[in-house]
Amino acid sequence: MSESAILVKNREVVVPGQPLARGRFKLGRDVFRDESGIIRAKKLGLADIKEDTVSVVPLSGAYIPKEGDIVIGIISRISGSTIIVDIRSPYQGVIPIPRGRATERVDMRKYNLKLGDVILAKVKAFDGSSSLLLTIDMEGLGKLEGGYILEVEPAKVPRVIGKRQSMLTILKEKTRSDIIVGNNGRIWVRSPSLRELLALEKALRKIETESHVSGLSDRVSSFLTQELSD
Amino acid sequence: MPLYVEKKPEVLITEDGVRTDGRKPYEMRPVRMTVGILDKADGSAFIEWGGNKILAAVFGPREVHPKHLVLPDKALVRTRYNMAPFSTPERKRPGPDRRSVELSKVIREALKPAIFVENYPGSVIDIFIEVLRSDAGTRVAGVNAASLALANAGIAMRGLVAACAVGRVGDFVVCDPNHDEDMWGDADMPMAMLMEAEEITLLQTDGPMTEEQFREALKLGRNSIRFLYEMQKEALKRPYQVVERSVRGVV
Repeated sequence: MSESAILVKNREVVVPGQPLARGRFKLGRDVFRDESGIIRAKKLGLADIKEDTVSVVPLSGAYIPKEGDIVIGIISRISGSTIIVDIRSPYQGVIPIPRGRATERVDMRKYNLKLGDVILAKVKAFDGSSSLLLTIDMEGLGKLEGGYILEVEPAKVPRVIGKRQSMLTILKEKTRSDIIVGNNGRIWVRSPSLRELLALEKALRKIETESHVSGLSDRVSSFLTQELSD
Repeated sequence: MPLYVEKKPEVLITEDGVRTDGRKPYEMRPVRMTVGILDKADGSAFIEWGGNKILAAVFGPREVHPKHLVLPDKALVRTRYNMAPFSTPERKRPGPDRRSVELSKVIREALKPAIFVENYPGSVIDIFIEVLRSDAGTRVAGVNAASLALANAGIAMRGLVAACAVGRVGDFVVCDPNHDEDMWGDADMPMAMLMEAEEITLLQTDGPMTEEQFREALKLGRNSIRFLYEMQKEALKRPYQVVERSVRGVV
């Protein structure tokens, strides 16, 4: 086999099947190695080459749950012993209602949920296909009261949070709002007024469309300053 | 009495290889591809190819309904090829017919090898191909558009699928048969390839060809598909380049 080579620029937009690198590299996310040993992109996204790992940062795609993710869900069905939660994913979340002994250990008031309630939940277990177990049995999880739900594409959630929460801090400070970002692309917001909420919504759309162009934080920051000054 | 009577042109191709629309045998009709034009779909594309205007929309991976169709180890892929009643010279009765059911199947089988179905167990990927205006070669145009819509939806794929038809008119092997050649030509061979491996995922033939002609047709098809693949890549990247340029222009 020929020697190692990188075939794309870092942060370049790549399409599925596009060759990214050849030779001794580790496979990161959303890439695969073909029969001839060439590492290719699985998804439309940005090439991401860090040291010896080749990845693709996807630009779109559905939310696929991971254990430990925090998601914002909407109760879609309550049947007997389980609560079914819509988490904007191909898979439905399930929260079992504790019974018997288990009720002594948990705060049962948390399980007093109605259809359409919005909850903050954690992915407890996911087998990759049918069974997606959620939990609200932790400090800070459970029903979200008041506020608004905004949505972004799940693939853009890391951009909304930013490196070490940098983007989220900008959004929170500039709009003086409480913001909770779910990994599934739902965002719960409590703003001081409608003005801040609308500015935030516009900022999220800006993050979505411009996420592949560097200098995003600065642009969003000055955009919000402009939107909220008068 | 039909309202519209089609007339066969006296000459389909001249001795020096000029076709009814003025093209040379190896020339393709003009193609334009646009990605991401439907808001409510997870991925979409629009292709204009000669007189064809075709929309492709992808939904998913999403929950499977009805539940009994769920595949526990991989994603289900469903495809619907449909022609609008106004897409043909004579009004087409709406709804699926023998032809569109078959095309749905061959298009699904052309696209499925490209999708990492094992990455989305228990879900479904729905592909809709809507022919708004038809002018020969709708299945290959549909495959090109659907492949773009899949990539636009952020679905994991081994590569894009590009497709083109080739045919035979008299002694000439021609690229991308037009309506006249489709109706009265001697052979028609749509083909699709999974890029960049160039694995054939669709190959149909209607009409006789010699072995030599078939080989020539296959080669012409492959070259045309390579060209279309370059257009697909450009179409997928274009929206991001447009945003980048406008952002850089402002800042």
